[in-house]
Amino acid sequence: MHMANELLSVPVAAGTLGIAAAGLGLICRKARTIVTSDKLALMGILGAFIFAAQMVNFQLPAMPGTSGHMVGAVLLAIILGPNLGAIVISSVVIIQCLIFQDGGLLALGCNIINMALVPSYLGYFIYKSITNARSYTPLRFYIGAALASVISIEAGAALVPIEAALSGVLVVPFSTFLITMLGVHLLIGTIEGIITVAVLGYIKQVRPDILAEIIPGKIRLTKKTVLTTFLILAVIIAAGFSLLASDLPDGLEWAYAQRPDQPDFSPAVENKNPKINAVDEFQAKYSPMPDYSTRTAPIGQTLQQQKELAAGWTSFAGVIGSLLTMAFIYIFAWGLKKTKRQEELNSN
Amino acid sequence: MEKAIALKNFSYQYPDGTKALSNINLSVEHHRRVALIGPNGAGKSTLLLAVPGFIKGDGQIFVDGIHVRKKNLKKIRSIIASCFENPEDQLFMPTLFDDVAFGPLNLGLSPEQVKKRVEDTLKKVGLSNMADKAPHHLSAGQKRAAAIATVLSMEPKIITLDEPDGNLDPRNRKNLTNLLMELTQTLIIATCNMDFAAEIAQRAILVDKGQIIADDDTEKIMKNSSLMNEHGLEVPKKFI
Amino acid sequence: MHHSYIDKFSYQNSIIHRLDSRVKVITVLIYTAMVISLPKTYLTVLTCYLVGPFALLVLGKIPLKFAFKQVLLVSPFILVLALSSPFYDRASLTVPFGPITWQISRGWLRCCVILAKFVITMLALIALVSTTRFSALLHGLQKMGVPKILVIQLGFLYRYIFLFIDKVQHILQARAARKMRNLGFKKETKVAAAMLGSLLIKSINAAENVSIAMQARGFDGHFRTLTKSKIKANDIIFALVAVSLMIFLHFIIRPVMT
Repeated sequence: MHMANELLSVPVAAGTLGIAAAGLGLICRKARTIVTSDKLALMGILGAFIFAAQMVNFQLPAMPGTSGHMVGAVLLAIILGPNLGAIVISSVVIIQCLIFQDGGLLALGCNIINMALVPSYLGYFIYKSITNARSYTPLRFYIGAALASVISIEAGAALVPIEAALSGVLVVPFSTFLITMLGVHLLIGTIEGIITVAVLGYIKQVRPDILAEIIPGKIRLTKKTVLTTFLILAVIIAAGFSLLASDLPDGLEWAYAQRPDQPDFSPAVENKNPKINAVDEFQAKYSPMPDYSTRTAPIGQTLQQQKELAAGWTSFAGVIGSLLTMAFIYIFAWGLKKTKRQEELNSN
Repeated sequence: MEKAIALKNFSYQYPDGTKALSNINLSVEHHRRVALIGPNGAGKSTLLLAVPGFIKGDGQIFVDGIHVRKKNLKKIRSIIASCFENPEDQLFMPTLFDDVAFGPLNLGLSPEQVKKRVEDTLKKVGLSNMADKAPHHLSAGQKRAAAIATVLSMEPKIITLDEPDGNLDPRNRKNLTNLLMELTQTLIIATCNMDFAAEIAQRAILVDKGQIIADDDTEKIMKNSSLMNEHGLEVPKKFI
Repeated sequence: MHHSYIDKFSYQNSIIHRLDSRVKVITVLIYTAMVISLPKTYLTVLTCYLVGPFALLVLGKIPLKFAFKQVLLVSPFILVLALSSPFYDRASLTVPFGPITWQISRGWLRCCVILAKFVITMLALIALVSTTRFSALLHGLQKMGVPKILVIQLGFLYRYIFLFIDKVQHILQARAARKMRNLGFKKETKVAAAMLGSLLIKSINAAENVSIAMQARGFDGHFRTLTKSKIKANDIIFALVAVSLMIFLHFIIRPVMT
């Protein structure tokens, strides 16, 4: 669910980068007071663990040939607390971008928000509000951790189409994209929930001292707890989807309505919300995306045709010119290497 | 002159109550190379953790005459430097340069001094051309040398090394031996490789089940084959 | 186990490698923004924008094969999105291109544009990270105001991810060696949880050791590093060249070709 550069407009990218930077800055400032020196090493290594854990895949139920893996935001938030957890997951997302090119540089803000900030805080909040220390039971723990995983991952996933829609770059209808994302991530989130609980359960069994302060009671995975959780999940999801379904065909289509870059798009519903109009206007004004303005006009007039043909030739020249430039650079670098090698040979 | 380290009636037990070290009395002179030998789980590593004050037990420990306790820790750790068993834990910075500079920077040296120390130390361990590399680009032998460089750059009086020969092939072990023999510092080396210990140490301390069994010249202890066998060790080739 | 580590090219030496990391980060960021802001149906102008990353890669002596392989590796998500556009936008377009004229649906054109943009921005990112040592990148980020605690985290991550990738591969091999058949979901989950759990415990132990190693070298909670980066004449020349290229592309090439 890494966001790509191509799904964003520059203003949305800049805005989300700004929000992510401000958010992270704030969290880091807050964390400075709670980070002790031994936490620092723990955070770093848990980050590496999460990174590696995402490589451990396992067979998904009922879907032969597909496999899932863990994301880890909720697990970290439970172990480290939401602030430190958010910092660690953010750094994982940044490393994924900078070393492995998962997600673009411009999309980094979105990715930090979707995959680190939202899941850490939302997940922790859900987990905490279900399992508070006073009324702790294994069932509550299980439901808390599982729900936190599912909902936080769904929330992060839902942000992807929203950000893309705000950018006005969607070709796929918003509702299709949203439902696809939610559907796929429902499965991912459910797996995440199960794995999160199972991993915590394993640690509780093998090294109870690690989680002594964080999870007071026992973790037991019984059929009953699993079934109850799934039941609750199913009800919540069914409710959510039915709400969405009634809303989707029109209400959420606002992102598409009257896009400056979609002149031939007839909006299903005109949105009268002044806020949204303001956003649209802002985008129309500042988006450096004039897009196809006159060029999509039907071809037929000779004048137009001539223009088109002329434009065709400029493109042709541009492409050829660029290719020549690249060839030149390549030969230049090659020559540079050659002379250097010659020099080295001579000096030897 | 003060002893490099001195332990008086030192005992330690794990949080779960298992005894790890009991009633250790021990002192080491400056500029000596001492081997801590014993089978796995004898308490060697625990002893090395106790000396610089990473774990707290009963009894007293002195490092260069200074009592090891919380308020002296900063001073103590500028005198004694510890090189741990796994170089992966010892090297935690993104580049070798940063790693070797970490200790000197914490000692409060100026950037120029730090730079000079890093360069000198890397030269000493033969890694001058690797300064900008990340640890994952180093070989096992280079990692070990790098781990030692990270403590050497602090110019401590005493260095403890936990299984420094672990996971090294014979050639790298030879290089390590040469490097350690060149050092003038007090060295306390925990190892279960008797050939390696016999090569390096003037004195050996045999530890088993948390107690000091024997403490004498390396040769005297290691030639005693019944003692060595009794504690799961072997007589090194040098003394057969 | 030997790896062809993904960051191996950042240890080469070239004109591009010697540049200050801040200059490169900012250049690549702005360049990416420019590419992304290009119109959605103009494919040809994108070729001109390919020049920038191409020059960085070639002058930085990064094998083009490596760069393109890297792009391919991260493409699945964007590929799905790009390939879905022909289904939603079937309006037909006539695209003249020099001596030839093409008839193409707008969806396909868009699909190509999305992919081309993806390739260009990814190549720019790859050019950045494979000509910049990660430690230098971290220094640059810190100087650009990224919070220290985050920079420290990134440093730790870079240090330990490769180690952990190795560990996970060993674990996965061990599982593959012992697993002869599909175990069913319940068993699979249990195995995965035990694998992840033991890895987590190992990491927590490793973290304790690292923490002790840090304290042994006088760490007192203040993370000190030597920063060596300084803007040099070369950096300024590079910045000037980059800015003029971007001005040329944005104000001359783009209006003419679109």
